[in-house]
Amino acid sequence: MIAVLGLVVGVVAGLLVRPEVPAVVEPYLPIAVVAALDAVFGGLRAMLDGIFDDKVFVVSFLSNVVVAALIVFLGDKLGVGAQLSTGVVVVLGIRIFSNAAAIRRHIFRA
Amino acid sequence: MSADERPEHRHRRELPAEVPAKPEAPAPPASGGQRLTGRQRLAKGLWPPRVTRPQLIVALLLFVLGLGLAIQVRSNNDSSALRGARQEDLVRILDELDDRTQRLEEEKRSLEEQRTGLENSSDQAEEARKQTVERERQLGILAGTVAAQGPGITLAIVDKKGAIEADMLLDAIQELRAAGAEAIQINDVRVVAGTHLSDAGGGGVRVDGRKVGEPYLFKVIGKPQDLEPALNIPGGVVQTLEKEQATVTVTRSEKIVVNALRPAKRPDYARSSSQ
Repeated sequence: MIAVLGLVVGVVAGLLVRPEVPAVVEPYLPIAVVAALDAVFGGLRAMLDGIFDDKVFVVSFLSNVVVAALIVFLGDKLGVGAQLSTGVVVVLGIRIFSNAAAIRRHIFRA
Repeated sequence: MSADERPEHRHRRELPAEVPAKPEAPAPPASGGQRLTGRQRLAKGLWPPRVTRPQLIVALLLFVLGLGLAIQVRSNNDSSALRGARQEDLVRILDELDDRTQRLEEEKRSLEEQRTGLENSSDQAEEARKQTVERERQLGILAGTVAAQGPGITLAIVDKKGAIEADMLLDAIQELRAAGAEAIQINDVRVVAGTHLSDAGGGGVRVDGRKVGEPYLFKVIGKPQDLEPALNIPGGVVQTLEKEQATVTVTRSEKIVVNALRPAKRPDYARSSSQ
C-alpha cells in the first residue's frame, strides 16, 4: 500500500513541481523510466510468486536503470543511439509483457 | 501425483499450458494449505498498510519512477517534440529543415522567375498592342481611312484651257509616289493605291468616280526635298503640264494636312488570318 502511495505521490509531485531535469540526464530519462517499469513489473510478479525480496528489487531496479542508460549512452557515443535505444525498449517491452502475463495469470487465473 | 514428483510435474505442465486453466487448477489446492495464492498475497500487501522496510524502499523507488514518468510525459507534452530529443535526432531534424528550406527557396525562385516572365510577356503583349495600333494608323494612312499631316508640298495646277487629262494627273501621281509621297489628296479626293482616274466629259477629271475640276490642288505628304525636284526635273511633270498651257505651282510646306478620307470598306468574305 505504501508502495502504491509512493508511486502516486511521485506522479503528482512530478506533475505539480515540474522539476528541471539536467540536460545531461534528459536523453536517458525515457529509457530509464522504461527500465524501471520493467523492474517494477518483475517485482510485482515476484511478490505474487511469493519470492519477493526487497534487496533484490532495489538492486534490479537500480541496475536496470543504470544499464539501460549506459547502453543508450554507449550507443550515442558509437553513433547508433537511436537504434540501440529502440532495441532496449523492445527488449524491456518484451520482458514487461511476459511479466504482465505472469501477473495476469496470478490475478485472474487465466 | 506423488510429493517428490510434483515439482517436476508442475513445471512441465505450467510452461506449455499458458492458456488452458485446467492443468493449473490442481496446483493451488495441492499447495493451498501452506502457501497463499498470488491474489491473496497481493491483497495482503495492499491492505492493511504496514510501514515495513521493504514497503518503504519500494515506495521510495516507485516514487522515483513516478517522478520520472511524470517528468517525461510532461516534457513530451509541453513545449515541443524537440525537447528531450537526442543530439543526432536534432541534427537530423535540422538537416530536414534545411532541405525543406532549400526546396522552398528553389520553388520561390522558380515562381519568381515565372512571375517575371509573365510580367515581361504582358509587357510584350502591351508592346505588341502598341505596335499593332501604330501599324493600323500607318496602314490607315496608306488606305486613306485616317487623316494625315506632316511636311510635304502642295501642287497647284491651274488649267484655264481644260487641256489637262486624266493620264497627266496619273503621271503626276506616279511621280509623286516614286518620290516617296505617303499621302496624296487631289482637291477633296484622297488618292490611294486603288485610285482610278478617268476623263470626265466637258473638261475635268474623275478621280475614283468623283469629278474633280480645275484648279487641281494636290496636297502631298512626303519629304519636300525629294518631292519638289521629282516634279521639277527636266521633261518631268511640271514641264509636261506647262506645255499644255497650264500654270503649275509647287510649294513646299512644313505642315500639310491631308484630311480627305476614304470609307474603309469591310470585306464581305475575307477575314484577317490569325497570323
